[in-house]
Amino acid sequence: MGTLIDRFEEHDGPVRGVDFHPTQPLFVSGGDDYKIKVWNYQTRRCLFTLNGHLDYVRTVFFHPELPWILSASDDQTIRIWNWQNRSLICTMTGHNHYVMCAQFHPTEDLIASASLDQSVRIWDISGLRKKHSAPTSISFEDQMARANQNQADMFGNTDAVVKFVLEGHDRGVNWVSFHPTLPLLVSAGDDRLVKLWRMSETKAWEVDTCRGHFQNASAALFHPHQDLILSVGEDKSIRAWDLNKRTSVQSFKRDLDRFWVIAAHPEMNLFAAGHDTGVMVFKLERERPASAIHQNQLFYITKEKHVKMYDFAKNVESPPMLSLRKLGSPWVPPRTLSYNPAERAILVTTPADNGTYELIHLPRDATGAVEPTDVKRGQATSAVFVARNRFAVFNPSSQVVDIKDLSNSTTKSIKPPAGTTDIYFGGTGCLLFITPTHVALFDIQQKKQLAELAVSGVKYVVWSNDGLYCALLSKHNVTIVTKTLEQVSTLHETIRIKSATWDDAGVLLYSTLNHVKYSLLNGDNGIIRTLDQTVYLVRVKGRSVYALDRNAQPRVLEIDPTEYRFKLALVKRNYDEMLQIIKTSSLVGQSIISYLQKKGYPEIALQFVQDPQTRFDLALECGNLEVANEMARQLDRPNFWTRLGTEALAHGNHQTVEMTYQKQRNFDKLSFLYLATGDQEKLSRMAKIAEHRGDFTSRFQNAIYRGDVEDRIQMFKEVDLYPLAYLTAKSHGLTEEAESILEACGLTEDQIGLPTLEQPLQVPNPIVPTFKSNWPVKAAGHSSFEKALLGEVGADEDIDVDGYDEQMDDEEEATLARETLDDDDEEPSGWDMGDDVTVEEDVDFVNVESAEAGAASSEADLWARNSPLAADHVAAGSFDTAMQLLNRQVGAVQFAPLKSRFLEIYKASKTYLPASAGLPPLVNYVRRTVDETDSRKMLPIIPRDLETVATVDLQEGYGAMRSNKLEDGVATFKRILHTLLVNTVSSEADVDQAKKLIATAREYILAMSIELERRTLSTDSPENLKRSLELSAYFTIPKLEVAHRQLALMAAMKLAFANKNYGSALSFANRMLANGGSAKLLEQAKKIKAQCERNPQDQIDIDFDPFAEFDICAASFTPIYNGSPSVSDPFTGAKYHPQYKGSVDRISEVTEIGAPASGLRLFVPSQF
Amino acid sequence: MDPFSAEGELLNIHSAFHSGQYQNVLDFETSVLSPENQLPAQVLKLRAQIALGQYDEALAEPSIEEDSPDLSAVKALALQSSGKTDAALQLAQELAENYPDNNTVQVLGATVLQAQGLSEEALAVLAKHQGNLEAVSLIVQIQLQQNRTDLALKEVQAAKRWAQDSLLVNIAESWVGLRVGGEKYQSAFYVYEELASAPSTSAPLSIVGQAVAEIHLGRLPEAEAAITAALEKYPTDVELIANSIVLNVLAGKPSEELEARLQQVQPAHSLLADIQEKSEFFDASAAKFSAKASS
Repeated sequence: MGTLIDRFEEHDGPVRGVDFHPTQPLFVSGGDDYKIKVWNYQTRRCLFTLNGHLDYVRTVFFHPELPWILSASDDQTIRIWNWQNRSLICTMTGHNHYVMCAQFHPTEDLIASASLDQSVRIWDISGLRKKHSAPTSISFEDQMARANQNQADMFGNTDAVVKFVLEGHDRGVNWVSFHPTLPLLVSAGDDRLVKLWRMSETKAWEVDTCRGHFQNASAALFHPHQDLILSVGEDKSIRAWDLNKRTSVQSFKRDLDRFWVIAAHPEMNLFAAGHDTGVMVFKLERERPASAIHQNQLFYITKEKHVKMYDFAKNVESPPMLSLRKLGSPWVPPRTLSYNPAERAILVTTPADNGTYELIHLPRDATGAVEPTDVKRGQATSAVFVARNRFAVFNPSSQVVDIKDLSNSTTKSIKPPAGTTDIYFGGTGCLLFITPTHVALFDIQQKKQLAELAVSGVKYVVWSNDGLYCALLSKHNVTIVTKTLEQVSTLHETIRIKSATWDDAGVLLYSTLNHVKYSLLNGDNGIIRTLDQTVYLVRVKGRSVYALDRNAQPRVLEIDPTEYRFKLALVKRNYDEMLQIIKTSSLVGQSIISYLQKKGYPEIALQFVQDPQTRFDLALECGNLEVANEMARQLDRPNFWTRLGTEALAHGNHQTVEMTYQKQRNFDKLSFLYLATGDQEKLSRMAKIAEHRGDFTSRFQNAIYRGDVEDRIQMFKEVDLYPLAYLTAKSHGLTEEAESILEACGLTEDQIGLPTLEQPLQVPNPIVPTFKSNWPVKAAGHSSFEKALLGEVGADEDIDVDGYDEQMDDEEEATLARETLDDDDEEPSGWDMGDDVTVEEDVDFVNVESAEAGAASSEADLWARNSPLAADHVAAGSFDTAMQLLNRQVGAVQFAPLKSRFLEIYKASKTYLPASAGLPPLVNYVRRTVDETDSRKMLPIIPRDLETVATVDLQEGYGAMRSNKLEDGVATFKRILHTLLVNTVSSEADVDQAKKLIATAREYILAMSIELERRTLSTDSPENLKRSLELSAYFTIPKLEVAHRQLALMAAMKLAFANKNYGSALSFANRMLANGGSAKLLEQAKKIKAQCERNPQDQIDIDFDPFAEFDICAASFTPIYNGSPSVSDPFTGAKYHPQYKGSVDRISEVTEIGAPASGLRLFVPSQF
Repeated sequence: MDPFSAEGELLNIHSAFHSGQYQNVLDFETSVLSPENQLPAQVLKLRAQIALGQYDEALAEPSIEEDSPDLSAVKALALQSSGKTDAALQLAQELAENYPDNNTVQVLGATVLQAQGLSEEALAVLAKHQGNLEAVSLIVQIQLQQNRTDLALKEVQAAKRWAQDSLLVNIAESWVGLRVGGEKYQSAFYVYEELASAPSTSAPLSIVGQAVAEIHLGRLPEAEAAITAALEKYPTDVELIANSIVLNVLAGKPSEELEARLQQVQPAHSLLADIQEKSEFFDASAAKFSAKASS
């Protein structure tokens, strides 16, 4: 922004007019040297010069479509040039003084010109367009029409004719411009006036005058898309006027420089004004929409000054909630917005009138742009909420920060540091003071400054979602600080930084003029995507970035967060996530590799690289020899082998070293390696190789290494070094050999001149056979990341959840182990007829007497009064009434198994709020009716609701069945029964579900109890065997889930088959096949079926009719055939033989079989 | 001028005490205070010491024996906390009779009376207060313990008219709010959240308050997050443990370990006492029922 790209210096003297071509890389200039020059700004050269004007050229403009240039000159002419064939195509005469300005109409064939002859002229150039448009066949009529046009000027020129002459300025006119869409013109003159003109097809007239400039007005134009006129003048001012009211809206004044010209950017909301010493680029208004975020809601102010809300969760925009039309002045948008969720109020500031703020309560529902009521306002440039019921306002002129309550009265005043320009929220109860050079954190309550940090030019402050970090944005810098204002990192951007937002993981996303970028807490940053227009980020969620654009429209930008998530995972050493990213995304590229290498994670970089050479380098760096080895094989160049060898040696991995030496044919080193590792066998092979190669030195060396004297002697003889050979033989005590050497060479011992003989060379003996394996090896540098990689691979195997199959085969042992049912037998509780429980039959309510006088009754007492449900009475602590209710509803008589459930509900019923020191905590009662304040409708919360039971507990029970943990299963299902017995639900549908659950639990408990009973039997006596077979058959009767019934059938089938009860086994097999399911089970069933069909007879007669309908008595585990008498339990509905009437239900262990009961109540419709 | 007002130099020590930052109170530098504020500061320090459970140390302080009604009231509290309830009661009643207008006597005397279950007497002592916010908050608490939410609400609203900004009034309002429920739960939550997140007021007291409000709002995961984090920081805070038990039960998680921990830290906690009492009640009630036939 604002940097000089190039200078174009060919004009002689001042340049008065320039214009860019709308599409081509061209611009045109005209100056006091009478010349018009056309330039290419890419090649930075002047393409050509148009000569013809006889005096200063004032303005030059390109035509929006045609290849024309329009110039106005002090020679009183206006000329049109074709820049393609570089020729003058039209000269317009008529003004009788300097022509100061001439412009094309943006769409029509019109030209407006302004001249010091005090007139503005509108020219019609449709003739010129016809003449120069592509040659089309001109009809005779057209030709006639053209010939007969009577408006030809004095030279008979019909190309450009004056349409209107606008007279009204009392002095020369300096500038004229068309309105982009309306038939309006604006002109500026030396009479210090800006005049507005309107024209129709036939006439043009003056509409109004804008008075205000107190020196010559130099130029004026219409705002490209707002109803504004902008003008500049020699009074050193820029003025904005309301087009409709012609009143001054805004003005800006420079101290010394007179303004001469003004231009608008074709697309962006930017203007430029040229003055005596330079150019000023400016905008008329802030484009940043005021906004505030609370959780999933974005509150923002639109261009129409409506307050709207955008919901990130639903991605919907609310209708306008409020209209702030009256806030500030009409052309000044609000600057900031602060939201208070506790009070649902907003604070809006506007720079109008030297800064004002308004405190407004939002309506409950967005019903349209209503005018706010009950607005509190005051003078300030900044206003932010600092607490639930407090906000801070800052007045720069008085340099005071006032803390105000919601009635807008000041409760406290703070003197901020000198030069404070702005204030921001600083965390709960704190404020951030922004000065041009510092940021200070201030605790409002303690009235003291907590911290200060030197950061210059901070403009915006963005807090992370968890409130732990904060980003301070200045024009070109982002500084990340902690909530106590300690600097974490800082980064610099050359492009202006516009906005920032934090993602939930603590990554800062920020936007510049044209990019979205990220920064980790440690300052690592990068580009996420480019922007085609500037936006203000407000929120990141997953792959979506939410932003407001300059029209205050919410926009959702898609981003790829992979890169920064990966880097974040790396910084946090979250290897699982990294692994996930590596596996699921295509994160490749040099930048990430060099990043990883720079950060010291070569082993991770390794995962991304394909190129063998880079892989080799990285593998060496992280000590991954396997990969390095693999890559070296691919590359197979000596250089790589050497490096691999060195690295492997350092690791102690001598096998790799050996291989590299072999590859390099480095025999000496290889020999030494074998010596060092004690590999005698390979050493001797080396010796052979050396002999074969005729390399005596090497051979000698190997012989030394191996302690092979003969070979050495032999070698010396071969090279005719007899004295040495002799000496060797002699010193090793090989006298015979020595003699023969002497003989062979014809020398005597004296001639050789022996030195004194020392001990012969001892060959070192390996202590450990190191050569057998790589040992010792430097601890492999597997990072936890690599471990995660390896671990992931290892954990891929399927885990067999189904423990039942194996268990089936071990059935015999299981039976022998005599697992016992521990809870089937209860102590008889005496024949108490329950006379002391007096209950009125039809009334479900049980009255609880009020608490003692003086104090009122507690909420818990209310619960018991408000509800006829046992669970609510339990929560209220009124156990006795709860028991009475249960007794009446389901005939509950034995409450011991419910004790934990009672206490659980009771424990969850109240919280302990510490209050004044020295006194016990205040007890509060937890309600399930959270929104209720009517004491007659308050009801307690009951833990373990139906949903938890259905999702968690039931699955646990099923799991126990699947894994054959039947005791656990029985306990789980009993717990389900107990939980449901004392509970509440919220609808009739839930009641049905609860009843279904009770029935399911009953069936499972029954089934499991039967099977457990069977396992306690030994099968040694015929009776027991029969009973065992019967029980296994009964096990298949309860209504279990199909998969579980198959298990029961399987067990029964196998047992029957093993005991030659082929008839029963066949029926079980048939049932299994009918049920379908797991192929493995069906296979077995088919086999058994085939075998049994040969002889479908039972060897042992059992009491089981596979074709009859019957229930199982839950106490005796014997069948109750249809039609025979039975009693059932009022709660679980389990069936019993009549003799069990009056005893405790075996299934629930709570209720009395056959007791009179009104039915379990879990739900009262009026409560909801 | 009220020494505890926003401009007073006792503001910080005062709000530290009432937001439960007792250690900060003890560490507070009091030598710089003006002479007339020395005594209140000392009283606060002694009370903080008692609140931290160091009542023997407090009783051992030489200053506590001084002949000043304020310090004698502290002594009564220390006696009460250390279990010498008879002596405490006698001293408190004596002080209440002789110095009925002393703020410290009112508050601490009433605390001792209330702790012994003499609510009406405590309220009578407190009724004599003249713009003493601590007395107001104590009245509110006693009335809440008597389940007179209506009276407590009136008391708070009256106090709000002249001391809207005070920490004590805000907290007392939250106590009432947690009783009233509905939208007031959310308001109470905001108060405690604000206290818990500001460094100058964050303490187990405020975190427990925040978590309790969230439990009442039915936001169990948030409550759990707050409590778990706080338990790591303050593992022996009784109310944290107690409410954590409640939360675990609500979430269907086991709470035995926490109950054992509470048993160890404060065996006399009302949760444990209550459960014990109810357990016996259960057995007694259950004994009235039995099956017609033995099985």
